[in-house]
Amino acid sequence: MRVAYYSPLPPERSGIADYSALLLPALAERIDVDVVRRRSRRRRRRADVSLYHVGNDPEAHGWIVEALRRRPGVVVLHDFVLHHLVAGMTLGRADGGGYLDAMQREAGPVGRMLAHGVIDGVVPPLWEDRAADYPLAGEALASATGLIVHSGYVERLVRESGYVGPVWRIPHPAWTPPPDIDPVELPEGRTVIGCYGHLNPAKRVPQLLEAFALLRRRMPETLLLLVGSLSPGMELDPVYHRLGLRAGEDVIGLDYVDEARLWSYLSACEICVNLRYPTMGETSGIVVRALSLGRPLVVSDVGWFAELPDEAVVKVPVGEEEVRGVADALELLVREPELRTRLGDAARAVAQGEHALGRVAEAYVAALEEAAGGNAVRNAFLHEIALAAHETGLAADGHALSDVAARVREVGPGR
Amino acid sequence: MRIAVCAPQVPFVRGGAEIVSERLVDELRRRDHEVELVTLPFKWYPGERVLSQAFLWRLLDLEEADGAPIDLVIATKFPSYVVRHPNKIVWLLHQFRQAYELDRTELGQFDESPEGRALRRAVHRLDKVSLGEARKLFATSGNVADRLERSTGLEAEVLPHPPQELPYRCEEYGDFILSVGRIDRAKRVELLIDALGADTSLRCVVAGEGPDRGRLEGLARERGLDGRATFAGRVSKQELADLYARCLAVYYAPVDEDFGMVPYEAFLSEKPVVTTTDAGGPLEVVGDRETGLVCEPTPAAVARACAWLRDHPDETREWGLAGQRAAERLTWDAAIGRLLS
Repeated sequence: MRVAYYSPLPPERSGIADYSALLLPALAERIDVDVVRRRSRRRRRRADVSLYHVGNDPEAHGWIVEALRRRPGVVVLHDFVLHHLVAGMTLGRADGGGYLDAMQREAGPVGRMLAHGVIDGVVPPLWEDRAADYPLAGEALASATGLIVHSGYVERLVRESGYVGPVWRIPHPAWTPPPDIDPVELPEGRTVIGCYGHLNPAKRVPQLLEAFALLRRRMPETLLLLVGSLSPGMELDPVYHRLGLRAGEDVIGLDYVDEARLWSYLSACEICVNLRYPTMGETSGIVVRALSLGRPLVVSDVGWFAELPDEAVVKVPVGEEEVRGVADALELLVREPELRTRLGDAARAVAQGEHALGRVAEAYVAALEEAAGGNAVRNAFLHEIALAAHETGLAADGHALSDVAARVREVGPGR
Repeated sequence: MRIAVCAPQVPFVRGGAEIVSERLVDELRRRDHEVELVTLPFKWYPGERVLSQAFLWRLLDLEEADGAPIDLVIATKFPSYVVRHPNKIVWLLHQFRQAYELDRTELGQFDESPEGRALRRAVHRLDKVSLGEARKLFATSGNVADRLERSTGLEAEVLPHPPQELPYRCEEYGDFILSVGRIDRAKRVELLIDALGADTSLRCVVAGEGPDRGRLEGLARERGLDGRATFAGRVSKQELADLYARCLAVYYAPVDEDFGMVPYEAFLSEKPVVTTTDAGGPLEVVGDRETGLVCEPTPAAVARACAWLRDHPDETREWGLAGQRAAERLTWDAAIGRLLS
């Protein structure tokens, strides 16, 4: 089977590029994969099925959605909320009409009016803080002959949005930690808590800093490591000042680091924190790397994160008690090395189990095989049953045939 | 209790699975249950027929019969477990192996077209749903349970089925190796024929029928076995017991077999078993140099194993008796006790 594979790839800095870099070799061991490059004019070999990785970043995924429009195929839906992507592909290209249409498709006349407000500058951009209310996933779903999702959370959302095609839930694959991770120099005698990845408001950095400030009052030997580029407009110095935290002493902030350094800093922490709200339905490559390394994790109890096994991560609800909850979770983990070990062992087992690369690649092959030939199989199966019903004179609207239809829904091919 | 035992039948073909189903019915009846064997013909080709024929089981209504409820359904092998019942137990003899470990082998069925691959996946999905809804899953061997776990993620308790009832006995350790079972490629009788080609002092009797018989008889002639290989065809229970009673040892080395009753039948006749390292289920039963010999799947190795048993009568008898002790522990009382627990 031949698959046309559309995805951002390194050196693009995106979690989905990293994801594909990890998955592709394992997939190519099992099926014929034709990786499609952006702006490639090479004549493509005929593929049995096309696979499109769709995320929320218009720069990384705009060209992929355009390809999807031209030839429907299986969509790997990395985010359910695609408002930013759609806004970038419409308003970002001076296509106000496209945005109006997308919002109307999503929310009817009210959506269209809101979009007008955004275009006219009288309503704040919806993608900044109301994207989850208007996910704008409709176009991607309409062109998807099947969906691969990473969580039950997103599967529920796509079903609630009315998607009726096949959905395969496939875990995020796990990396094998590099065998030779270089150590990093950090102040000695400190318990290191690490937060990694692009630091945007959804990562709850201010809340994490508040929780850390509470923790430091009780456990001053702790150190917070923030590793990742800061989202434009996010200022941490005022937060440090307000909370009495000393940059470089209590909190060490670093910009984007390459993959090798990322592993080094992940290895350097005793506890990894990855908070999230709101969630766009995304997974976290950082969390999966931390699982692989056997690092105890504190995550928000939302979306995909909430589905991680309880024995491997500590989940903190988002809400009024979030800051205290994070501080308490961190304190518990700092105080109890045995608990950290237990969580870390369980985390590693999860990474090596359901997130194992080979297992994930097999699940992809199964999904792609079903997608490529599933309709033909289903049609042939239904044709045979319909023929038997016709030959025996079963009425199309009778009870007998509706019973047959119910049984087909239970166990028949395709969903 | 009113129980329906569900098993498919391939018209004009009879093998171990049929024997097990019928025996299960008999044994349940002996224990005062009201039991019926429910069966449908199964044809798995061409193409989507494997699905539509399997689907027939789904259309059955076994919740009650003639106004009285059926309390329990015990399904056995693919596709009978597609049947729908609120109290469904599966005693899995095997899945549709062409969709699993036999795929992309000469015994496979599904080609490399998108339709062929998707059809195989559709069988997997059917298994996941229909086995997943069972109240309890038993597998006839660790091999079958492992395959089930690998392919569907479902866990089954291992519950071997006792061998068929025959007048088992041991009269002698004669001069022939016995092969019992349906003669098709998967049973790999060819390896025994080739072993006889490698050692001209060996003799064998092949009991059973199947589509590969003509080819194997031709092969025996080609190898110049000159009557050292006898194809006995389908034999009666009495004749089979006689063959077991008189043979030197029993050869049983199918490719990655699910379970196979033959080793236990051999043991009840106090005969050791020659099998191969890739035989699957039989390896759970045949202990190397304990109840038989486990050798590489080559004609020379099989020939050496058979000749060794002939040349070492004490060990042959001792291992046969050790097998008998193991086989006698496998009782219907225990099996039914667990099934109905």
